Amino acid sequence: MNPRTDTSTRSGRTASGRSLFAWRGIDFVVGAMLAVGLGVAFWGFDTFLYPVLNGATAGYPPIGGLMLGIWLLPAVAGALLIRRPGAAIYVEIIAAVVEALLGNRWGAAVLVSGFLQGLGVSVAFGLLRWRRFDVSAAMLGGVLAAVFEIAAYEWWSYYPDFSWTQKLVYLGCGMLSGAVIAGLGGFALVRALARAGAVNAFPVAQEARENALR
Amino acid sequence: MGVGVGLTAGAGVSAGARSSGALEGDHELVVRDLTWRPFGRRDPILDHLDLDLAPGERVLLAGPSGSGKSTLLRALAGVLTSTDSGELSGSVALGGHPVLDHPTGEVGLLLQDPADAMVAGTVGREVAFGPENAGLAREQIWERVEESLRLVGFPYGIDHEVRALSGGEAQRLALAGVLALRPAVLLLDEPCSMLDPASAATVRDAVAGAVAQSGATLVVVEHQLSHWTDLVDRLVVLDYQGHVVADGPVADVLTAERDRLLELGVWVPGAEAPAPLPVDPSLAEPAPGAGGVLVRAEDVGVVRTVPPGLSSWQVVHDPVVALAGADAEVRAGSVLALRGASGAGKSTLAAVLAGLLEPTSGMVTRMRVGDAGAGAGAGAGAGGGSGGAAGAGGASGDSAGLAAGTGWCPQNPEIGMVGRTVRDDVCTTGRALGLDEAWLERRAQGLLGALGLGPELWERDPHTLSGGEQRRLALASSIAHGPGLLALDEPTVGQDRSTWSAVRGVITAARDGGTAVVLATHDAQLAEVADDQVVLERQPAGGSTRAGGATDAEGRAPREPAGGSTRPGRRVTSGLAARSGPLAVLLASVIPMAGAPFLRDWRTAAFGLVAFLVVSPLVLGRRWPQPLHRLTPVLIGVLSLLFSNCWLSPDRDLASAALPALRLGFFAAPAVLLMAYLEPFPLGDHLGQRLRVPGRPLLAGVAALQRFDSLVATYAELRVVRRVRGIAPPRRSVVGQVREAASLTFALLVHGLRQAARMAVAMEARGFSMPVATGRRRTWAQPAPWRGTDTALVGVILLVTALTIGVGVAPW
Repeated sequence: MNPRTDTSTRSGRTASGRSLFAWRGIDFVVGAMLAVGLGVAFWGFDTFLYPVLNGATAGYPPIGGLMLGIWLLPAVAGALLIRRPGAAIYVEIIAAVVEALLGNRWGAAVLVSGFLQGLGVSVAFGLLRWRRFDVSAAMLGGVLAAVFEIAAYEWWSYYPDFSWTQKLVYLGCGMLSGAVIAGLGGFALVRALARAGAVNAFPVAQEARENALR
Repeated sequence: MGVGVGLTAGAGVSAGARSSGALEGDHELVVRDLTWRPFGRRDPILDHLDLDLAPGERVLLAGPSGSGKSTLLRALAGVLTSTDSGELSGSVALGGHPVLDHPTGEVGLLLQDPADAMVAGTVGREVAFGPENAGLAREQIWERVEESLRLVGFPYGIDHEVRALSGGEAQRLALAGVLALRPAVLLLDEPCSMLDPASAATVRDAVAGAVAQSGATLVVVEHQLSHWTDLVDRLVVLDYQGHVVADGPVADVLTAERDRLLELGVWVPGAEAPAPLPVDPSLAEPAPGAGGVLVRAEDVGVVRTVPPGLSSWQVVHDPVVALAGADAEVRAGSVLALRGASGAGKSTLAAVLAGLLEPTSGMVTRMRVGDAGAGAGAGAGAGGGSGGAAGAGGASGDSAGLAAGTGWCPQNPEIGMVGRTVRDDVCTTGRALGLDEAWLERRAQGLLGALGLGPELWERDPHTLSGGEQRRLALASSIAHGPGLLALDEPTVGQDRSTWSAVRGVITAARDGGTAVVLATHDAQLAEVADDQVVLERQPAGGSTRAGGATDAEGRAPREPAGGSTRPGRRVTSGLAARSGPLAVLLASVIPMAGAPFLRDWRTAAFGLVAFLVVSPLVLGRRWPQPLHRLTPVLIGVLSLLFSNCWLSPDRDLASAALPALRLGFFAAPAVLLMAYLEPFPLGDHLGQRLRVPGRPLLAGVAALQRFDSLVATYAELRVVRRVRGIAPPRRSVVGQVREAASLTFALLVHGLRQAARMAVAMEARGFSMPVATGRRRTWAQPAPWRGTDTALVGVILLVTALTIGVGVAPW
């Protein structure tokens, strides 16, 4: 019958060698589960840890931006895992839906935040033309996600009384947090998931396994 | 190299009268030169495999663990490349056209664990998933649902909740979901391995009935051949390298190849259970000072409240009786077997005896025996309280104390893995307890070796082991540190004859070494090792309904009938929000947010909040069903914004700071309360039909959101595992708790993503991506109507928002 060669490329952009916009079914299912799993963690963070940290930053509230990276993590991890345009938005929105359904302090606004954060990460990977998924790309993603979230939304809705200095300090803290927690953290998370055999169908795991073989 | 074997049974179609779903045309399945090497493995799992399956043929595929049986089924179903990545070559053709690339719905695949297949909340919608993907008209969908449920002899109606099903029922439902696409080939991947014998028989009968009526080709993979030998006409045997080593009529192969089959570890029907592998008892005896345990449970019961999860908080569930009135006693040097059907409470009783779970009624006594009288009969406590030396670290005790006394092998071994490598995992508890490293190493290596986990596996991540290997690793890890009490939950599932004999050998060694062993199992041959046994009865489910016809006159599914009080859950229906559709609820949640920027001063925002409070009885019902603590985060948010903006504003102006704070309250508080009424599944229905959100991202999102409750339950199980493994931090340590939360989240993600990959297999095999391949739109089994209550809800919220803005801009 029709003999076949590789359907999967080793170094290509996607696990299946298909076009950048052709999502596989498993991309959606695993991406969504990643979001829900992290959503469970978010909810715990929002409920138990955030009020405490919030109190700790009360002396100079713009420092609170240092916590932002936690919420940006799903977007960065989603983009690194799925490696397709829109992956960051998809994963971050579903994580936001989990928060919304469970109840949180921002109400339906988490959906807006989720979209902006995912958009920021998508723009970052898009600037790199969907060719780089290394740690610096991940950190850029985290930074831009923070910029989109803060400059397009939080300044105006939550902190209109901040002076420009305070707004910029808040933004700087957010960017730092995005780079470290979401960027470095997201990169480390995805790599650890690959090592644990949790994402075998994805390029990050395929690279790790083939390299281990050599 | 692969051995090509011609087909022997020919057209052994014994199907009698074929139903309307009978197949037409040529459906010969031809596999040629199929080779698959997953990335990261040196050698292919499938190596130039050839196989021919005549239409209607029934084939049993046997072979040792790791021979590539499951992989072959995934290749036949066309889902291999969507769940793993690797090098694939060769061809699979059905009736002459290729199916290796993508699922077509003509080849149906049923997986081992029905939980991986479930995508919907109700029975009817679960079965409808495939026909919806195929783009069938609504009447046809419900015809298929009815037909498939009848084929598998399903006892409940279409509105029955999926989560209220037992394992065997869920597997039959999953089978119905596969049959709904009327596949020409039906592939079953160990469909009965996780079921008790009675449930397994019902699944087998359902399969027999379904293939008799549809005439589909059947391929079954199962370790226990005896369930299937009288149903199939051909037996194909693979060896460790994935080569076909025997192929022919069942009876012939069983007779001619008996010795080879036994050697490969295949469970040949009628063969005696293998003798336990001799294992040195000193590898499995209790550590010094841990032995001599006696645990007695008297009249213990466990009642679980069903937590209001993400998808179902507005459905009120009665508490579940997991165990009632059980008596059991286990003492050092003996094995107690817990028997009974699935759902009878075997696992629950094992957890109670192990001290992992406090019973809600009855008494558990833990004591030391044979310790020259010193402190014998030390501890007793009502309600599961435990005391005495052996009981230090009962259900409420500290992690190290619990771990020192108890070894636990959970039913799902994947949950039990805590080490980064196999070697790490086995030694984790012993190291946490500070045991002598040389002693620990000797035992760890001895146990791993005895259980067939050789040194080549020791540096691997335990999650990358096969299911059977993980289970044996979990057994080794539960014993290595030498607990006095060992509780094992189904330790032999998925084992072939040789590994089974090793598992039984280790259990025997533990007993002979003086360990008290609790064994929850439905493996009758394993239970022969027991000195005592307790047989549990399944608790009657609190009212399950047997609904009648599947559709009404128009071919639609009946809506939730009023007064369904005998259902597993009761729905709260008070207030507008509870009676509105999901899009109206979503819209109503967003409206205040859109209005918030127009609030210009804090008095207006305060007015709006009061206005919402006034209409809340209309919207939410007079007795708010949801706990008010949902509002706590909003309250904290409001106070925090008030403080931030006030503290930092140049003149510390409270009035100006109050605006962003009250604005947050204005748009967040109503949204938080309203969004509690959103349920993922109906939301998906409405978003897909009314807003035309693309099917795959939407359905994947909904399926994942439906897993939220089970992920939370898994999180709790993972916590218990870390406690019994001795690595949970002390309760007082905040840093420890944060690190613990991070570890648990990672473990949860590993578990969840691996399950997601299996879900993707099941969903793809039911045509998940078919609309993309065929260009035909997906259809929906139930309509998504916009009702009067929807308009009323949106109207009320809109009115309050507009009124508030109006008050703000009015000239007074």
